[in-house]
Amino acid sequence: MDSVKKEPKEYKKENPIGLFGDHLNAIATGLKYFAKPQRITLKYPEESIRLPTGYRGLIRLYKDVCIGCTLCAMICPADAMKMMTQEGKKLPIINYGRCVFCGFCVDICPVDALKETGVHDVAFSNRRDLIFDPDKFNKNYDVPFTGVVRKVRAEVDEKKGIRYVPDS
Amino acid sequence: MDVEVVPVTGELNVGPQHPGSGHMRILVKLSGDIVDDVELDVGYVHRAVEKLGENRNYMHLIPLVERPAILDSVHMNMGYVMAVEKIINVDVPERALYLRSFAAEVNRIASHFYGIGILGIFLGHSTSFMWGFGDREIWVHILEALTGARVTNSYVIPGGVRRDISPSIIEMTKKAISYTRRKLNDWKKIFFNNPTIRARLENVGVMTKDQAIAWGAVGPNLRASGVYFDVRKAEPYAAYSKLDFDIPVYKEGDGYARSMVRLEEIEQSMRILEQIIKDIPQGPILSERFLKQIPPTRMKKWVEGQGRIVLPGYYASFRPPKGEATSRVEAGRGELMYYVMSDGSAKPYRLRMITPSYRLIYVFKNLCKGVRYADVVSIYGSLDYFPPEADR
Amino acid sequence: MDFISILRFYFFYPSFFDIIIFPGLILFAVILLTAIWFERKAAARVQMRVGPYYASKRSGGFLQLVADALKFVFSEMIIPDQVNPTLFVLAPALLLMISILPFAVVPVSIIPKSGSIFSPYFHDFYDPNIGMGVLSGFFTQYNLVLVLALEAIYPIFIIFMGWVTNNRFAILGSVRETMLSVSYDVLIFMATVSLALEFHTLDIAQIVQRGIPGILANPFAALVFFIGMLIGSSRFPFDIVEAETELVVGPATEYSGFLFVITMAPAYIGNFIYSFIFVDLFLGGWLPFTGLPGAAYTALKAVIVLFFSVFMRSVYGRYRLDQALRGSWKYLFPLSLFALIFGMVVGFLWIA
Repeated sequence: MDSVKKEPKEYKKENPIGLFGDHLNAIATGLKYFAKPQRITLKYPEESIRLPTGYRGLIRLYKDVCIGCTLCAMICPADAMKMMTQEGKKLPIINYGRCVFCGFCVDICPVDALKETGVHDVAFSNRRDLIFDPDKFNKNYDVPFTGVVRKVRAEVDEKKGIRYVPDS
Repeated sequence: MDVEVVPVTGELNVGPQHPGSGHMRILVKLSGDIVDDVELDVGYVHRAVEKLGENRNYMHLIPLVERPAILDSVHMNMGYVMAVEKIINVDVPERALYLRSFAAEVNRIASHFYGIGILGIFLGHSTSFMWGFGDREIWVHILEALTGARVTNSYVIPGGVRRDISPSIIEMTKKAISYTRRKLNDWKKIFFNNPTIRARLENVGVMTKDQAIAWGAVGPNLRASGVYFDVRKAEPYAAYSKLDFDIPVYKEGDGYARSMVRLEEIEQSMRILEQIIKDIPQGPILSERFLKQIPPTRMKKWVEGQGRIVLPGYYASFRPPKGEATSRVEAGRGELMYYVMSDGSAKPYRLRMITPSYRLIYVFKNLCKGVRYADVVSIYGSLDYFPPEADR
Repeated sequence: MDFISILRFYFFYPSFFDIIIFPGLILFAVILLTAIWFERKAAARVQMRVGPYYASKRSGGFLQLVADALKFVFSEMIIPDQVNPTLFVLAPALLLMISILPFAVVPVSIIPKSGSIFSPYFHDFYDPNIGMGVLSGFFTQYNLVLVLALEAIYPIFIIFMGWVTNNRFAILGSVRETMLSVSYDVLIFMATVSLALEFHTLDIAQIVQRGIPGILANPFAALVFFIGMLIGSSRFPFDIVEAETELVVGPATEYSGFLFVITMAPAYIGNFIYSFIFVDLFLGGWLPFTGLPGAAYTALKAVIVLFFSVFMRSVYGRYRLDQALRGSWKYLFPLSLFALIFGMVVGFLWIA
């Protein structure tokens, strides 16, 4: 135990006169935010966040680079990554139904054959689609969005907390 | 005039599908509006982490042990890794220790904001619920930039940490600190000094110092009862022995003291973060023993170039020597203890985790005796009980 | 008299126009949606959010409430096994009817002898106290007493609803309502009685026509009335009957679909009617307007009062039952007694 021992503090007890002031203070704070809202909502389908570099999103495979060392399958905590033999070469397949996005496989790959993409919002219509064989796994998910989606970056702001700035 | 009060007793089955129960069933035995006894039926989110731990190898367990409390994942992760480090006997470099403290404190702030938010919605104060989650978002954003994931960070690995801090993250943290300091003033006005909140929390669920020790309360709940105990001070880990911070201790032991302790811990955590930013030493972020296993080209590209550890093959399935180890960390909700026993194989022979919320079950049950029914949720919220963490 | 003018006569007949068209049922339906929309939007502004947005972006998600209502109308109404189905369906309907009843006697404006669209009915709604007609559904010289009497029926039906539902949360909610209703009825009664003594009348129209807003004449009564109104209509910080984290939704726990909408509406309607009384008694009512503009002005002020009381949601948590009771009996009841004496003194000295 640390040698510094301190007396426990006591909070100030409520007094009836200050009570009225506290009520007013609370309502005034509410009105202050009502007049000048500080919103941090992301209007998701219209705006979407450009995830920072290093974000552990969906993983992709560089099929030609892979040497089939099976380290990724060994370290996978959720047994999402398995090895399969394709044309005499061992390649990983991934089951996104099991993947927990810990990124260990990317970090342990000795030849950088796996890469994290900045995509994490994808939908599948059935469970079989969640299993990516090496060919499907080989594709990049970083497809530029076309259409109405605005890409924004989240920034910490001293005034607003989180601020979204348009990402060019 | 004497009025004969006819006792009306009955049971109320609160949960597991109830807005005020969380993932458990609270069987409340009522006598009028007074709670005679509560029976806590926990275990609705039991996921057998300890048993699973015997069937996974050491690295596989890192994401698993985070799952019980994903909003407090750095602590869950760090405690486990510290126990493993004791078994494999590896020294952690200074910078990695500082980074562990950094991530842990950011996580503590996020976790406390979450707790205050949940307390708010239990008391019907929806603004604090939204503010808690909104202000937590900033700290989660910093964790996301540092570790690559919002909540399931898997940041701490045996021998060090996975990623280095960058100047932009330091800049972000400074801004977040100044924002949160200012916002906390408004927090006090609308929540902590709000008469309705004070009325609901003051003198509710009072736990005396002796009771707190006897019932095994931990963390902020223990400190709110006047016990000066914090693992960061009692048994410093990571970089805490070199950092200067106070432990907020309150005397009253009621719900309001518990939430005040959380509020002040947020302030102290920000103080710690400022010191870390200032004092963080240069150096490697992974133990030399593992660092030299990384091939030089990859070392240059990843570790030196991007401040990101690439794992050497050792991690895929290492076999630690026979032995056992315990570790303690001060998680967001209190003392978290791990016991890891190795029999020399790639999987632990036994993994035991004693989570802070687990100890709160007994505290909660005892505190609920004799209070009014509406106070059950108030006590629940002020204890910051997190069911998945207790059930594991 | 041709057909059109007969139709016109009956259309603008205050007992119909005031109750059904404006500011009656139709306005109530609109205000109900607007108040809930405002409640959500205002809370969202305070709480770093946007609130309803996608249903009609241009109006800030106003149609969200219509969408919600439509969804509720078409969703299944589940009637539990162990209840009497007739009473179960009847309870919310009765509650809604009773909640809207007091509006029939609340004066919203006056009818001048000529020049107004309501002038033909001057003699039917003639108030001898002020020498003018009164625009209200049913005129009596003792409308202050009648309003309070009609408002006091309302809690009985909440209790009825809880009893009919046969659910423990509902019964607990009903018990809370019984305890609260006594305390807030007393508060509202005392506040209005102190005004009645101050202005020497039991006629709301006469109080308004004195030209002195009650909030200046008796601020204590205004405070007591406002808090009584918050308790009476289950607004924060007195959302005790429907306390979500404790009692799910209190007496309305078992209701679903359209019946649930009907159980939710009376609290807002009650609040709106209390707002009308508050505006009449304390905020100067329709003055300086008369006729239809006067009614519109009264309604506008009532809407502002209603909006302020729903805004409380974003500021407060909820009190415990015993704290609300202690607050109202220990602090507000003595305050209301003081307001009574204050009203008598001021009424004697100032308002002769």
